[in-house]
Amino acid sequence: MKERGWDLLLFYGHTWRKDFFRYVINFNFAGPHIVAALSRDGQLQLVVSDPWDGEAAAPLFDQPVVLSRDFAAGIKQLVAQVGKSAVAIAGMEMMPAGFVASICRPSGKAPVSATADIEDMRRVKGADEIERLKKAAGLADRGYHYFAQTAAIGMAEYELVAHVEGFLKANGAEDNFMLIASGGTEVTGMRPPTDRKLQRGDFLITELTPQVDGYFAQICRTLVLGEPSPEQLQSFAIFSEAQKAAEDLIRPGVDVADVARVQNDVFRKFGYGEYTGSKYTRVRGHNLGLHPDETPYILEDVHYILKKDMVVIAHPNTYLPLGGYMVFGDSLLVTGDGCVCLNKTERKLFRK
Amino acid sequence: MKHGLITWDKAELPPAAFDSRLSRVRELLAARGLSALVVYSDVWRSNQGRYFSNFMPYWNRALLVIAAEGAPSLLCALSPRVYPWIRSITNIDEIRPSPNLPQQLLAMCTEKDWKKIGVLDLGAMPQDLYAPLAKGLDSIADIPWNAVRSAPDEAELSMYRRGATVAREVLEQEIAGTSGGIDHDFVGRLEQRLRLAGAEDLVVLLTNGQTAPKPPAGITLDKGFSVTLAFEYRGHWIKVSRTVAPPEVLTSLKSLFRYSIEGKPLGDPAAPLYLENLSGAYPWESCGAAELTAGSLFAAHVETQVDDRRYFYGDMCIRSPSGAELL
Repeated sequence: MKERGWDLLLFYGHTWRKDFFRYVINFNFAGPHIVAALSRDGQLQLVVSDPWDGEAAAPLFDQPVVLSRDFAAGIKQLVAQVGKSAVAIAGMEMMPAGFVASICRPSGKAPVSATADIEDMRRVKGADEIERLKKAAGLADRGYHYFAQTAAIGMAEYELVAHVEGFLKANGAEDNFMLIASGGTEVTGMRPPTDRKLQRGDFLITELTPQVDGYFAQICRTLVLGEPSPEQLQSFAIFSEAQKAAEDLIRPGVDVADVARVQNDVFRKFGYGEYTGSKYTRVRGHNLGLHPDETPYILEDVHYILKKDMVVIAHPNTYLPLGGYMVFGDSLLVTGDGCVCLNKTERKLFRK
Repeated sequence: MKHGLITWDKAELPPAAFDSRLSRVRELLAARGLSALVVYSDVWRSNQGRYFSNFMPYWNRALLVIAAEGAPSLLCALSPRVYPWIRSITNIDEIRPSPNLPQQLLAMCTEKDWKKIGVLDLGAMPQDLYAPLAKGLDSIADIPWNAVRSAPDEAELSMYRRGATVAREVLEQEIAGTSGGIDHDFVGRLEQRLRLAGAEDLVVLLTNGQTAPKPPAGITLDKGFSVTLAFEYRGHWIKVSRTVAPPEVLTSLKSLFRYSIEGKPLGDPAAPLYLENLSGAYPWESCGAAELTAGSLFAAHVETQVDDRRYFYGDMCIRSPSGAELL
């Protein structure tokens, strides 16, 4: 804060994006809004919009927690009270414009965004954060095992998801980000579950991302209902080689653009280069932490140098005409000289 | 998160319900001289976009654009690969891939020669979208939600009633005989049963009576625990609270609840009453009684304390001119 000239740093969270707030206070709130205000002398103050959040948070703070249903008024008052002039906000981009405007008035100066700085700090994990991510990865493994065990021909996609969600929550997940799809070469991507019933020969793809104590870890696997076709096996071999190429490369000092490139090169080598662009795929991986889809995204046109103790997923998920959309990937912890996989699930094309 | 069954059963929620809501917007556009109304939508703030189109971004953000004529358009940061799915569950025809939402909206305004547009609840738009729009457009009208949201019609009410019935039944069945179990197991059972029953999302808060309800933490549920369940049924959020209090406490809680919602003004000054608006932009928002107008859908939760243990009970209501009614 001193380096940047900030007098007061606000960590804003809403119910979808709790991550900036939970970086400074790992407290799971109902919302919809919450702000933690950190002053240069290290004092923390909290403004909440929900009375039960206020009650649950109160024991965590020396200062009284401010409950403000008119949230703009609450943060305006907070900023005015401390009488500081330079206000920065982590999460300012997602903050309602009316809240940002309310902060402008008492300070006389417009607040500035602290998002990029805090995002960069968040990328390198501390020991306690890594422990939480390991727990989340362990739960992702158990969740996938349950997913594969439960899937059955005739079951609707949403029914399978309901069972898996129940399993993850029963085993301590706070939340879970999950996409799914089933079918053949007509499947071009994942989405929320539908009432489509699983059929023999389907590719059944999912990414599971359970959240444990604030932190999300992810696993991506593909299962074939029945015996895989030669095309499905060939497709998996390409994905497996691409994922391994990424994992072999990942270490501190490597540019994420190269992590994307080595994956795409495998597809190019087999003549499927056209399926590495945005028409058929989204990203070749991303950072993990308090949000399930953190930046940097692993793409050939994104440049970011990997650092020790980052946790990323490398997943060459894309459409291929061989078997349709396929997913495959694990959560990886960047170590001093490479990376270790946090997931223990077998790396294979699952079949049932 | 939003990964339950997202669908549109047209027998349950007929297209005419959306047509009527869009007509109201178009009347307002004509009266205010606006070319279009823009509705922001994201994973958690999807109620308003859903109200007009049944669209909900299960991930990411979007802008719904309701022009003076034609079906609504969607500017969407999701991949075009999911557009067929979006079209299958909404009344949206045109979807424009929009990794940069404000840039795409500004391009659309130029292309259509729109001089003045409205944004629903302008001050609630995220700062990173608001700032470039404010800079790029000569004039943006702030259209408040209550200017375009009609009192709920029968179709909407029946969605809420159906959701409330499911939530009450499942919660009451699950809490019976649960004491002594771990809260995570209880939440897991609710997740499974309610998602099988059509939940798109749910949030469960629990307490053994020493605190207000809060997220599960791996504790053993004592005799007399209380649960607050938020349940999204096809875009319609329901909130109810139930407890396994001793019968005399439960009877007294139910009386307190009835008294609290039937009064005018709402509530009993001697007992805590927690009100949450479920008709707004967010799934729920804590509010005061004065913020609830006739037709507002809301949850009311009451609390009583017996022998140092707090018990909670609550349900879905609709505000009426004379007080409120249980939904």
